[in-house]
Parts: sequence; structure tokens; C-alpha cells
Amino acid sequence: MRSFLLEVSLILFFLLKTTNGDVLFSSLPRSLFVVASLVEGRVLKAGEDDISVTFGSNQTVTNQADESYKKVKVKLCYAPVSQIDRKWRKTNDNLKKDKTCQFTIYDKPYERIVEEFKWKIEKDIPTATYFVRSYVYNDANEEIAYGQTTNNKKSDNLFKIQGISGRHMSMDIASVCFSAFALLSLVGFFVIEKRQAKVKG
Amino acid sequence: MPENIEGSPGSSMHGVTGRESVMAFSVASPTVHTDPTAKFDLPVDSEHKATKFKLFSFANPHMRTFHLSWISFFTTFISTFAAAPLVPIIRDNLNLTKSDIGNAGVASVSGSIFSRLVMGAVCDLLGPRYGCAFLLMLSAPTVFCMSFVSDASGYIAVRFMIGFSLATFVSCQYWMSTMFNSKIIGLVNGTAAGWGNMGGGATQLLMPVLFEIIKKAGATSFIAWRIAFFIPGWFNVIMGVFVLTLGQDLPDGNLGALQKKGDVAKDKFSKVLWYAVTNYRTWIFVLLYGYSMGVELTIDNVIAEYFYDRFDLKLHLAGIIAACFGMANLLARPFGGFTSDYMATRFGMRGRLWNLWLLQTAGGLCCLCLGLVNSLPLAITFMMLFSIGAQAACGATFGIIPFISRRSLGIISGMTGAGGNFGSGLTQLVFFANASFSTEKGLTYMGIMIMLVTIPVSFVHFPQWGSMFLPPSQDVVKGSEEHYYVSEWTEEEKQKGMHQASLKFAENSRSERGGKVASAPTPPQNTPNHV
Repeated sequence: MRSFLLEVSLILFFLLKTTNGDVLFSSLPRSLFVVASLVEGRVLKAGEDDISVTFGSNQTVTNQADESYKKVKVKLCYAPVSQIDRKWRKTNDNLKKDKTCQFTIYDKPYERIVEEFKWKIEKDIPTATYFVRSYVYNDANEEIAYGQTTNNKKSDNLFKIQGISGRHMSMDIASVCFSAFALLSLVGFFVIEKRQAKVKG
Repeated sequence: MPENIEGSPGSSMHGVTGRESVMAFSVASPTVHTDPTAKFDLPVDSEHKATKFKLFSFANPHMRTFHLSWISFFTTFISTFAAAPLVPIIRDNLNLTKSDIGNAGVASVSGSIFSRLVMGAVCDLLGPRYGCAFLLMLSAPTVFCMSFVSDASGYIAVRFMIGFSLATFVSCQYWMSTMFNSKIIGLVNGTAAGWGNMGGGATQLLMPVLFEIIKKAGATSFIAWRIAFFIPGWFNVIMGVFVLTLGQDLPDGNLGALQKKGDVAKDKFSKVLWYAVTNYRTWIFVLLYGYSMGVELTIDNVIAEYFYDRFDLKLHLAGIIAACFGMANLLARPFGGFTSDYMATRFGMRGRLWNLWLLQTAGGLCCLCLGLVNSLPLAITFMMLFSIGAQAACGATFGIIPFISRRSLGIISGMTGAGGNFGSGLTQLVFFANASFSTEKGLTYMGIMIMLVTIPVSFVHFPQWGSMFLPPSQDVVKGSEEHYYVSEWTEEEKQKGMHQASLKFAENSRSERGGKVASAPTPPQNTPNHV
């Protein structure tokens, strides 16, 4: 009985949270411009190359007062080609459930100037095709505007990043040594025991 | 006395130890490579198989064998499912698609379909100790191979190879049957199998923790998961060494030495296979086990990723929840065996069948609900109920299997075990490797499938005991246990007295009539060679 009441109260609690009103991406104005400077067609290497990003407020588009812009985050987002057959990167209009942009590369309070920064591609960025998007947040930490390097269809201005392989020479060697040990000890035991049996038998 | 007939299958290993006095049909020179002590820590029968089960002892040979055996099985479960909780990292490193991940899951359980079938023969030839050690030591390099993997095909290939090691199930059960008397073999095997299966749960806990520790030590994600794989690899090697140095095949020594002194002639394999394959009950249970054990293996592969993605949990938290599923085996599988035995005392075989149907169907229903709920606490609740249902059903299945056939029990057990893996592979292929279903839909459909597949239990009919809905045969001859079990032997074989052990078993199985029918006491020599 007690566990049933607990379950019911937990369900109600979760229901309440979701009826608060989540931010939908389609409702956001594209009031920022974002430009990522990188050589066209070249594949960037994780752990080695940088991305230079320039972003700022797009004066012609904005119809929101700047006062509500408190924080800006710039994120690395998966292009549609890297989302195929990979539901864990799925785009969802509800930004709480959206998994398109999984890496935050810049997180600072909003300033009215055009900002520029360089980001070194970290070693845990996977091999995929990306674009860059920035979100502006209000006091309540909700997204209120965005900007991105690509067009609405996410087909333009995409770039590729090649992740690290994760392999290492020392690991390969250790692997071979341990495997050899396992095989040799098995064969060794077998041979020794057979010999002992022959000697005694 | 049937045991003295040479080549009589199922007869004791009388004469094999070489310490009995010389008989008329005396065997070759007495062995020297046997255990010098005549005293055992546990009470034993005439074959020196233990008649009591002392859980917290490590005494040689019986309890030590038990622990070596179940821990080896546990270790292979850890290795086989080690990738599952790390999939969120691996999928980014190797650029895997949902189909790749699903196919790797299928591959991880498919290898052992074949290896489990072969393992019985290997144990016969080399003994369970070497069978177990071979599997552990030969699969260790495959685990270490994870460090070389750089794309989907490599990943699938390595998971396939590691999966072969799940055949330790067979060596575990075989080894138990050489060490423990048939009166307690059900409990012993059920406990060993259940605790071994726990490895599928333990690995969901272990691997994310190892991963986090290695990351904290400075490695980046895509390197850390590979390093983490060295630990299960080393478990394999360590257990292999323990089994080789501490284990022994039989209560009195090792098979190699003992085999030279007059082996027990085995039954003809082709005959044993024939009676297994032509018994329709075998196939029903192969199907059923695919949806009790099979779904357990499937869940071991998908559940951590499911909680990570659906509920946005951190990797180690998803791992903890996933671990709870597998760890429930500690009690759930023995529980299923226990309820089976309990129902049998009241309602006989009919009770066992109903018990199995109820447990497995309830498990299926909870699996269906698991896919439907959107909240984390409900999901965890249904997952746990599902785990109890499915794992208890596994225990209950092996409460019935010994009664399907006496002659072909070994092969039927092996086929059922393989069926478990086949069911898992098929389920993952159809419901979880497909990009068109989400994982939650896959779970719901799997739940429906479980409930449908369990219906054939109602078709299992024993002429002497009836079935779920039908009463036993009223015919005096056909309705006897003896008729059922002795019908597996031809007249020729009966004349040689090869069916004596089946007769004894039939007598003892009268307890499956239920009610207060007391079974005849088990004579001490009535122990099967393989369970």
C-alpha cells in the first residue's frame, strides 16, 4: 500500500513538472548570427585543430528587447547526416528533449558586442558532421533566441570532425602480451599434466 | 546388479577410482594420480558425490568445485556483457548506428549457441575442469582484442568471439553433476546457474565504475573504455589459473588419470540425440527458454543504454539500475526452482507447469509495461518485476527438464541452453537492431512475444501426470512412469539391462503425481553421469 502511494505521488510530481511549459525551438527568433571560420572541405581533427567562432546580435532580425538576454551558450551540433539511424542524437522541437547539440563550447554572460573565440576541438568529440549554434538564455535559464552557422534545413556550411581513434600502441602491445600469457599458461598446464600422468602411469 | 554390467550407461563410476578391491572383470593397473584422502568434508554417497550442500565452505573437492564453477560462469557473463553499459561511449568512438549496436548484441549471444552444444562433448573428452579452463583462457585474448577495435565490423566480430565463452554454463552444470548427488543436484545447479547469470548484472555496475576511475586518472573517454576492458580479460585469466590449479574433475581425482583405468562406456550419441530430438517437449522448452533466459540476455544488452537515453541518466547511474536487473538472479532463479518444487508437492507436474506459465507470463506483462511507462520510478519497478518473473521462469524451466527424458537429459539441457541464446539473438535482431522501432516499442513488443510464446506450455503433456488442462492417461500401462521412461530403450537395449537406471528414476519420479504420494527412497547408486 505504502509503495503504491509513493508511486502515485511520484507520478503526480513528474506530471506537474512537465506541464510547466517547455521551450520549443520553432518558437525562437533567429536573432543572432554565428560564423565559424574554417577551411572549406577540410576535415578537422579532434585534439589538434581549432574552430574560430564569431557571433553577435543580428540587428535586422531582432524584435526582442536585449534586456532579457542574460547568458549565451555556443554549442556544437550534429548535422542531419550524422543523426541517421542514431536516435540518441535526435532533433526534438521541445528543447528539453532535443539531443541535436550535445557539446557546449562557450558559456558566458551575454554582452552586446560581437564576440569571437577560438575553441580547441576536444578529444572526446566523435567523428561526425557538425554545425555551430548559439542560444541566448533569460534569467530563468530558458532559451529565448538562437543563431547558427547553417541554414534552416541544416544543409549548408557543415563541417566534418574526425575523432581520435582511441587506440594506442602501448595498449595494443599490452593486449598481445596478456593474450600470449593466457594461451601459453593453458598449453603449459596441459602439457605438464599430460607428462606427469605419463611418468606416473 | 545393474551397476556391475559393463558399459551400462548411468551406472556409477565403480572401479574407476582404482581403490576398490580387484574384481573378476578387473581393470588395468590401479591409478596413482588420485586424491590420497578418503575423508571428505561433506557426507558423500558411494560415488563420493556430496549429499549435502554447504554454501560457505571452500573445502576440496565438492564445495571448492561449486565455487570455482559458478565464479567461472559469472566471469564469462561479465566479459560477454561488458560492452553493454559502455555503449553510449563506444557508439561515439566507433561511429556506430543503431543497427550496428543491435547486431553486436545479436552476435554476443549467437556464438554460444554453437559452443554450448559442443561443450558437452568437450567435457566428456577432456573433463569439465579443462573444458572450463579452455573456455576461460581462450576467450581472454578475445576480450583483450577490444583494444584493437576501430569500427562497427571489428566491434561485432569481437563481441561474437567473446560470446563463445558463455558455454561455461554447460561445463558448470556438468561439473556440478560429477560432484553432487542427484537428490540435491537441482538446488546446486539452480544456484550455480543463477549466481553465474548475476555476472550480467554485475558487469553493468563494474564497467561504468572502472571507466570513471580510468577517466579520472587522466585518460580521455575513447581510450578509457578500452583500458576498462582489460579488467574482465584479466578476470578470465585469473579464473582460468584457479580452475587449473585448484580444481579437479571428479571427487577422487582428475579425469585424465582416471580415464586410463576403465572408463564407463558411454551411451551411443546418435541414440541419445534421437530421443532428445523426437520428443516434442524438448522443442517446446527450447522455445520457452528462449523467452525467459533469452530475454534476460537481451535486457543485459539493451537496458543500460535504454535508461541512459530515455531518462537522461548519467552512465554510472544507468549502470546501477541495469545491474539490479541481473543481480536479482541471486534469489529470483533459485526462487523459481523452489516454487516449482513446492507446487509439485501439492499438485505434481501440473503444478510445475502452471507455475512456469504464471511466472513467465507475469514477466512478459511487466516487460510490456516497462516499454509503456514514461516515468523513471515506474520503469524501475516494472523492470524489477520483469526480472523476477523471467529469472524465476528460468529456474522453473530446469525444474521440469529433468523429467522430459532420463536418457537424453544432457542433450536436452544443452539444447535448451542453446535455445535461450537463440531466442535472445532472434529477439535482438527483430526488435532492437531495427532503426524503425524505438527501444521502448521493442520492449513492449518483446513483452507481448513472451506472453504468446509461453502459451505452448499448455501443450506439454505427460501421459503419467497429465498437463495443465488434461488429466493423466487412465490406461494402467501407458499411464505409468515406467512406461514413459523405459520407452526410450529398444528391446535389445532392455535385454542388456541398459534401462535399469531409467527404471529407478521412474520409481522416484512418482512424486510428480502430487498430493501426498511419497516417492521411493533414492538408492545411493542412482546418479546420472551428466545432468
